[in-house]
Amino acid sequence: MLSEYSVIEGRSRHFFKVLGGLVLLVLLGAGAFFFVEHHGHAVTGMNNQIVWGLPHIFAISLLVMASGALNMGSMSTVFAVKQFEQFGRFSAFLSIALLAGGLTVLMLDLGRPDNMLLPMVYMNFRSMFTWNVFLYTGFATLCLLYLWTMFEYKQYKKFIGTAAFGWRLVLTTGTGSIFGVIQGREVFGSAITAPTFVAASLTSGTALGILLLVYAYRHTDRFLDDRLIFGMRNALIFFMMLFAYLLVVEKFTRFYDPASYDVQIWILTGSWAWLYWGGVWGVGVIIPLMLLFNHTTGNRVGSITLASAFVVAGVFCFVGHVLLAGQAYPLDLFPGYAVSSPFLDGVVGSYTPTLPELFLGLGGVGISGLIFLLGVRFLRMLPKRGVAPDGWELPWNP
Amino acid sequence: MNSPIVPVGDRSRINVRKGIVGLLLLMLAVLVLLPQGGWAEPPRPEKAVRGPCVRDPEWMRRNHMDFLKHKREETVREGKFVKSESFLACADCHTSRERFCDRCHAYVAVAPNCFECHQYPK
Amino acid sequence: MTMDRRSVLGLGGAIAAGLALAPGMHLVAAPQTPSDAPKDPAESPPAKRWAMLIDTTKCAANCTACVDACRQENNVPLFGDPERDIYWIRKVELRDKGLRKPPVSLPVLCNHCENPPCVHVCPTAASFSRKDGVVLIDKHRCIGCRYCIIACPYKARSLVYYKTKPPANTNKAVPIRAAGVVEKCTFCVHRIDNGEPPACVAACKGAEKGAMIFGDINDPQSEISQRLLTAKTQTMRPDLGLKPQVHYQGI
Repeated sequence: MLSEYSVIEGRSRHFFKVLGGLVLLVLLGAGAFFFVEHHGHAVTGMNNQIVWGLPHIFAISLLVMASGALNMGSMSTVFAVKQFEQFGRFSAFLSIALLAGGLTVLMLDLGRPDNMLLPMVYMNFRSMFTWNVFLYTGFATLCLLYLWTMFEYKQYKKFIGTAAFGWRLVLTTGTGSIFGVIQGREVFGSAITAPTFVAASLTSGTALGILLLVYAYRHTDRFLDDRLIFGMRNALIFFMMLFAYLLVVEKFTRFYDPASYDVQIWILTGSWAWLYWGGVWGVGVIIPLMLLFNHTTGNRVGSITLASAFVVAGVFCFVGHVLLAGQAYPLDLFPGYAVSSPFLDGVVGSYTPTLPELFLGLGGVGISGLIFLLGVRFLRMLPKRGVAPDGWELPWNP
Repeated sequence: MNSPIVPVGDRSRINVRKGIVGLLLLMLAVLVLLPQGGWAEPPRPEKAVRGPCVRDPEWMRRNHMDFLKHKREETVREGKFVKSESFLACADCHTSRERFCDRCHAYVAVAPNCFECHQYPK
Repeated sequence: MTMDRRSVLGLGGAIAAGLALAPGMHLVAAPQTPSDAPKDPAESPPAKRWAMLIDTTKCAANCTACVDACRQENNVPLFGDPERDIYWIRKVELRDKGLRKPPVSLPVLCNHCENPPCVHVCPTAASFSRKDGVVLIDKHRCIGCRYCIIACPYKARSLVYYKTKPPANTNKAVPIRAAGVVEKCTFCVHRIDNGEPPACVAACKGAEKGAMIFGDINDPQSEISQRLLTAKTQTMRPDLGLKPQVHYQGI
């Protein structure tokens, strides 16, 4: 039955292990925050060339996945794929949890977190950050409303769900535009950055959905019809192709412009190329696609889950590569001239993340995980049985 | 199931009354007992070495924070620097930050972060 | 009932008196104008637009007078950590990639752009342009998000990574710094408001180089306006359309 939801029991040893692990992550994050606050940002690996580091990669990845996690809800509410309606609550709640974790990391990495409420007092409406403040709060509100309409007031579900879907597209466009609107840096400043972020969000959200669904159902001994996972696999493949397409188009258009040869060749062969080839393409696209397209592994839930894990890691690498390579490439102060200075002009920026940064980022993951875990523990988010309708066949299987 | 039906409203009203009486007694006890050790000495910030102040001292006592903030916005953002009303000019009459600003601020436990960046001219 | 003007005024006075709630507590404060307050904007001279011209032919590769003067004037410390040191102004060596022109040495500082991207992206409007074109950071508002550092194509901004104690010989006219905020060249706003040139310009003149000229480009008679008319100058990255106001001659 579609309407039969229940909380997870939360008495098993496994539950408490996960709970303890997440609490530990949050504590580590809090410790790291106070450590950085006490000593200044000098204890991080960030410097005046690379001013956004690991915490921002974690935060932006979580935010990208937050909008992506709404996929299952949107699929059913907006695109009438009714089999996924049962996971609507799960999906909207996961969005909120990821958003909370990501935003917390962003806030706690500020140089002056004691002033973090100032953007509410003095707003500069031309700033992409200010837009994002509204986009995030609006998205959280819409997700809550969406969740509410799924529990009660079902007659408004379609309306709110559609609004949330539209909003999340704008939201991720805003996130991508943080880099896309920057014209002063050779690597940033592309109109295609924002759509690529949207594709990354669709991809990683679906992958994370598969991971968490399979995980939750396996460990609570609930029934989950494999065909549902296969359906999500097909969506995942589609989103990944979209993501790969946009990555290729970005490189193609950049390479068509002779002025960008230097930058682009540096990206493909320079100091962060390993992250681009190995992380974004290898882990994020090629390995999972090979797993998903293979006749054996593509039809096995276990390997689909593995592929999803690769995709999530790959999108993390994608965000990391956009940030780090984008900042590391030296600014071209006087085109046609090689520059050097004691302020390290003309030098590719170096960045070695430190433990406090890693812990701060993991703290955000911990917050998201904790909210999500307590949510499924105390609110009826998950259907008792994940069933697909009889006779439902997927149009395509590998 | 078998418990006698007690009107909820009545029971709660009795509790509220008891609570209020108890609270009043507690407050009275605090009032009577705590000052035994003597009241804290009120802060005596250093007297100005000359005058007059840029505003009525009584007014400054209550509004200096808003005044400073307003002047800060004007100075930093609009470039309207009035030397006699600047933060630095306080030191013309109030010679020591420790004896002027800090005495009151320590007493009321308000820690503005002015002096993280500004230096009080001595 | 009708009210004549006098009774309305009287009523207003009574209300105003009533707004003085207690000695020293007023809801409405009467304006007071100190003698050294600036005059009404309508009476002040037409707006200035500060700009700088750097003649690189006069700038010696081994001279750091401007950088040193800036550190002294603005209390900018050196942490001994090149990746995280604060630079308001720095000497940059230029080498022609085509190897046709001789190497050039010049100072690079905040360009005080007319269309500053840092001001554009700042979420709290802590970065702002003053009416005379000086781009400043209101550190009271800066939350340390570093988006401005990302947006600036000149690397003019630094985050304060370290907590520091003020050195003994600080210039008290300029604030020292708290960690976690972004800072950059202010065109020595405290000096130019007093009619003095920025410290780097003064130092350059003092070192008998005279490579740096500072002035008001809205005044057609000023030295910088004259030089900009006659000399062949360029700005950094004019392709970005930011209209920088630090002009270079001789590159």
